[in-house]
Order: sequence, then structure tokens, then C-alpha cells
Amino acid sequence: MSGYAADTAASRGLALCHVCFKLSPVEQHICPRCGEHLHLRTPDSVQRAAALLITAAILYIPANVLPIMYTEQLGNTIPSTIMGGVILLWHHKSYPIAAVIFIASVMVPMGKLFSVGYLLWSVRAGRTSSKQQRTTLYRMTEFVGRWSMIDVFVVSILVALIHLSGVIVIRPGAAAVSFAGVVIITMIAAEAFDPRLIWDAGEDADE
Amino acid sequence: MSEAKAVVEKKRRINAVWFLPILAAVLGGYMVVYTFLTEGPTITITFRTAEGLAAGKTAVKALNVDVGIVETVELADDLTHVIVTAKLDAAAAPLLREDSRFWVVRARVGAGGVTGLGTILSGGYIELAPGEGEPVGRRHRYMGLETPPVTTAGTPGVQIALSSEQAGSVSAGDPVVYNGYTVGRIDTAKLDANTKQVQYTAFIDAPYDVMVSTGTRFWNASGIDLDASAQGIELRMASITTLIVGGVEFGVPDGVESGTAIQNGHAFKLYRSYKEAREEPYQYSAEFVLRFDQSIRGLGPGAVVEFRGVPIGQVERIMLAELAQIRNDGKADPIPVLISIQPGRLLLGDDQAAVDRIDAGIAMSIRHGLRATLKTGSLLTGALLVSFDYYPEAPDAELGQFAGYTTVPTVTGGFSQIEERVVQILDKVNNLELEATIASANGTLGELEKTLVATRKVVQSDGVQTLPADLAATLVEVRTVLESFSHGSPLYERLNRTVTELNATLQSLKGLAQRLETQPNSLIFSSESGPDPRPEARR
Repeated sequence: MSGYAADTAASRGLALCHVCFKLSPVEQHICPRCGEHLHLRTPDSVQRAAALLITAAILYIPANVLPIMYTEQLGNTIPSTIMGGVILLWHHKSYPIAAVIFIASVMVPMGKLFSVGYLLWSVRAGRTSSKQQRTTLYRMTEFVGRWSMIDVFVVSILVALIHLSGVIVIRPGAAAVSFAGVVIITMIAAEAFDPRLIWDAGEDADE
Repeated sequence: MSEAKAVVEKKRRINAVWFLPILAAVLGGYMVVYTFLTEGPTITITFRTAEGLAAGKTAVKALNVDVGIVETVELADDLTHVIVTAKLDAAAAPLLREDSRFWVVRARVGAGGVTGLGTILSGGYIELAPGEGEPVGRRHRYMGLETPPVTTAGTPGVQIALSSEQAGSVSAGDPVVYNGYTVGRIDTAKLDANTKQVQYTAFIDAPYDVMVSTGTRFWNASGIDLDASAQGIELRMASITTLIVGGVEFGVPDGVESGTAIQNGHAFKLYRSYKEAREEPYQYSAEFVLRFDQSIRGLGPGAVVEFRGVPIGQVERIMLAELAQIRNDGKADPIPVLISIQPGRLLLGDDQAAVDRIDAGIAMSIRHGLRATLKTGSLLTGALLVSFDYYPEAPDAELGQFAGYTTVPTVTGGFSQIEERVVQILDKVNNLELEATIASANGTLGELEKTLVATRKVVQSDGVQTLPADLAATLVEVRTVLESFSHGSPLYERLNRTVTELNATLQSLKGLAQRLETQPNSLIFSSESGPDPRPEARR
């Protein structure tokens, strides 16, 4: 048995070229049209996604602990973290902005980390149930990825706009870099994950 | 099996992408370790108020160099003080010792001048004075000082402790002067609730610290010292500086050994005045209780104890507490007064042996009439002093015991003696037999009255009543007689003529007499004409 689910291209020894998407028999090893190597599935998909996910998780710690920006007001430097900013806005009754920043900067990256982590775990464990939901989850993760850069954009704009030397200056903090890293690396991790693996596990049992 | 089948090999190889999480972990770990290694200690300091302190802004400075920053300023759980958390630089860790001191530098106006002016614009900061004790951990709790210590650590000199029974006008920052020259200052002043004494720490700057020895005495040099005692009125004024801000003066009184050099933290007593410091140069004293049966108004602690005018000691206190304890009957208890006699004043030496000699000497002298008495020292102030003298006529008495002290018998003296005599006189007046005298006087007056009544009867009798009429008749007759002799009456004329004639006769008789005197023979012989007689004075 090949290990791939029945009635898929892979079960018939057909592989899709990564570059020109031509379907060819995998025995040819090389795409007859563009010369790219042929693989039934993205190689080391789980491993690569897991490695990137761990990197993102590590970066997420400084992104939240360190200040994302420094406000120098009349020589008085106030550092602010992401959560600190959310709490401050909430106290100032700016509930919608606080909610937006909280969702974009805290919930979305966390959600991405957990959803990719869950997908990887489910594939590794050979889970066969709720394949449809997991596919939806993967699609949402991929879609939402680029939108969580809001924080980084806000900081970049503030730093560029507010630069009255001596009166008020905003400088980016180390967390801005870390946070950008988290967003980018989770996006790559989501890309690295091959969603076909969800469907490969126990296709027979499923039908 | 002619159709070739894909042979899938499960390759277990490590993807190069694992380099990323490892790099992230290593970098993160390095950051954590680096932060931990370079992170300075975090300390908490409690202050009574957070005035001038701002979280994230107020600096912690040592010798005006930034060594940290205040992170949080919070109220304590019991809301009585504030807890300040400060993060110090790693390099500042050695500054943290057990006895490191923290205080808030604000603009202050004190005895030592205006300090902290720079903080008016920049805001206050926390000054850290490193101590010399054991190093402490990275999370130590300190009690912040409310007032800055005057002497910064490491200043050469010597620190001394002073204890006083009253604060007077000495407070932290006041100068310590020697002969009017400022050589140090009072660092802290604290009232001890248990001993009710004020504890000062003072600092004497080098090189003047060598002037302080074990025999040195410190006294309050504040302002003007006016002392009205049995000795008279004494006025002593310190320097103008101490007059305004108060201060402590020191010196070695005459006749006191200067002693040896002192260690840091040597404890001294702070005397209330120069006089007190001077009068207490003796360490050993014999204590006695005197029990007075009279008013002790004007006698107070510090009053002089004399022996025939020579000061030998002083009154320590009036033992009212002990009196209250033993008092259980309604009798008039004599008032106990504790005195101390310093053998050093009598040049007997300042040691325990001399005290024993005083004890023995007094015990022996009692038999010969030695008694204590109160005398008026100053009529102006009414202050009393205790005087010892011999009263051979005093009734026999013994040494007694009172509250653990030996009592010396007393005799009444001073104003009380005068008072007693006045009372004696009044008593005598009281005892005179005035009533008998008054009774006899009453009798005499009765007799007199009778006599007067009799006299009135005589006066009112008829004979006496007619007397005036008779008298008037007599006077009329007298006048008639006198009128007959008056000018112009015949009798008067006759009398006048007779007198004239008599006069002429006498003139002729005078000529005859003169002739007879010059010429006695003219009676017989006729007169012869001779030269005219010359008038001659009689010899």
C-alpha cells in the first residue's frame, strides 16, 4: 500500500509540478515541461512548518515583553508594550481601537500559532476525523496571516510622522522587530504546511 | 507486477529550516542571560510621602551620579506610607549595604543653609548614601530617611552619640562648636519613647576629632542661658550662630581629666547648660535622703548642697513617687529629697573609696550634731539650698533608711525658722492673761463712773448753782473799787499830787545827799568858795 489515500493523484503515482503545475508521473522525477523536481507532497512539510512555528513562538515572547515603542515627551521617556497599549486605550474608553489592536496583535498571532500547531499535531498523529473543519481552519489561517501586521504598521507610521526633536519623539522598540518576525514566520509556516496531508490520513477509513 | 510502482522511501533527515528556531532560541536565551547578568538590583524603599517622586522618572543618585531609577511608587497595604521600587544599575550593586541610607532630595531650608535648590526645576531625586555594613541581596528593603543626614558617609572624623533628657533647641543640622568655632554638626535627633531621652548622633570633622576625649563634656549652647539660682543670677550667651540656630558646645571643664581618645560611636551625655556640665565633673557621688518637715518651696533638682558654705553636692530630685508608695496613714509625712555629695568636690578623690569615706564620715558626725537644714540662698528668687552644719543643741538623731537610701536627720531652718519664731511670739501673745486685765480695767471704769456721778451731784447742788450770781456781785464791787482809782477821779488826782510832791522832796534830798558825800563836813562847816568842782567819775 502506498500510504496515500485511494483515489488521489498520489495514489496513482501522479505528482503535480510545484512550478508549472503540470501533472506528471512521479517516476519521471523531473517535470517534463519545466525541469523542476517532482514530489508527491511538499517535502519535509511538517518538519519545516514545525520549525518555523517554534521560531515564531520564541519571537512572540520578546514581542510582548519588550516595549514596542518609546515615547519621548519633553525628555521623559515612556516605554509601551502591546498589552500595555491595549490596557491604556481601554482605560481611556477607546474600546473599538483597543479591541482592534487586541485582536490584530494578540489574538490573531496567537490563533495562528495554535491553529498551525494543531494542524501539525493532527497530521503527525494521523487524525482522520473532521478533515473538513481542519481544511477550513487552514484556509482561515492562511488568509488572516497578512492582516496581523497592523501593530508594526502603526509603529512605523508613528515613528515616521512624530519626530519633533526635544518635544515629542517616538522610537520603535525591539518588540516591533520581534513582532514583525512573528507575523512573517507564521505566514511562512502556514505556507510550508501542505494541506493535502490532512486528507492523506486514513482516507479509506473515512469512506 | 509489470507496472512499475512508486517506491516511497521515508527519509528521516533533519531539514535545514530547524536552524531558525535554534537561532531564535539561542538569541533569546542570550538576551535573557545578558539581561539577567547586567540587571542591577531592585530595591524597595519606604517613605512617609511620595512628594516629588515619579515612577519611571525620579532618579536614584549616589554623590549626584545616576545609579538607578524609580520604577514604581505605590501605597503600602496599610496606607500609612509609600513603597518605592527602584531599579539600580548593576554597577551600583556594591553601594547597597545593610546600613545604606536613602532620602529624597528636595529643596530644603534648614539650619545649615538652603540645600537641594537644583531640584526645584529638575524635580526631586533619591540620594543613596552607601554604608559600610555587610553587602545585601539584590532585593533588599530599606527604610527611607525623612530628613537627609547631614554628614555624608566617608567624611573623615568621628561620630559620637549624645543623649539628653530634653530636646531643647538642638535639632539635626545644628552645629557643634568648640569655643565658638564650628567643628561638626548634629546628624540625627530621635526621641526614644522608652527612656524618654533624646538621642543625637553628632559628627566631629577631622582634624578636630582629636579634641574629643573621654573626659569631654557636651552641653546645649542654645541661645541665652539665664540662670537664677541660690548662687545668684548668671547670664551666659553663646555665639550668634548658636544663638539663632542652636547648637552644641563641648570642652573639658576645669579640674577634669581629659581622658583618652574615643572610638567611633562613643556615647556622651548632653548637658542642658554649661553650668550643668561644669558642675557634674564627678563620676562618683554618695547619695542621701533628707526628709524635711517644712515647705521645700524653692528647692529643686540642681540646688546646691553646702557644708558651712562650701559646695559639696547637689539636690538630685524630690522623691514624690517613693513618698506616694509608702504613704498609707494620714500622718503628715516629711518630704524626702534625694541629694548627692561628690567626694571629688572635697578633694577626697573621685572613686568608690572616697564615697565610702563620705558615708562613714557622715555617720560619725551625726553623733556630734551634724544636721541638714534648708537655707535661703537668694532672697530675690527665694531659692533654697541644703546646708550641713553642726547643731550641738539639736535633739539626738540617727541615720535612717528610706527607699533604699540612707537618711540624714534634718533640723528646721531658713525662712521656716523665722516663721516658727513669729509663731512662738504670737503664741505668747495668745497666752497673755488679757481677760483678767480686761476685767480689772472694767472694775476701774465702774469706779470712775461712780466718782463722776458723785461729782455731778455736787455740781448740781444749790450752793454751787448760786455761785455764779455771787461771783457776779463780787465782780461789780471790785469794779466799783477800781473805778475809784481810775484816771480823773479825786482819789487819783490826790494820789498823783502826792507822788509829785514826793518826787520833789526826793530831788532836794538827793542834792543834800550828794553834798554830804563830797563834803561830809558841810553839815558842820559852811561851804567855802573854792574852785569849781570837776565832774569825776566814781571809781
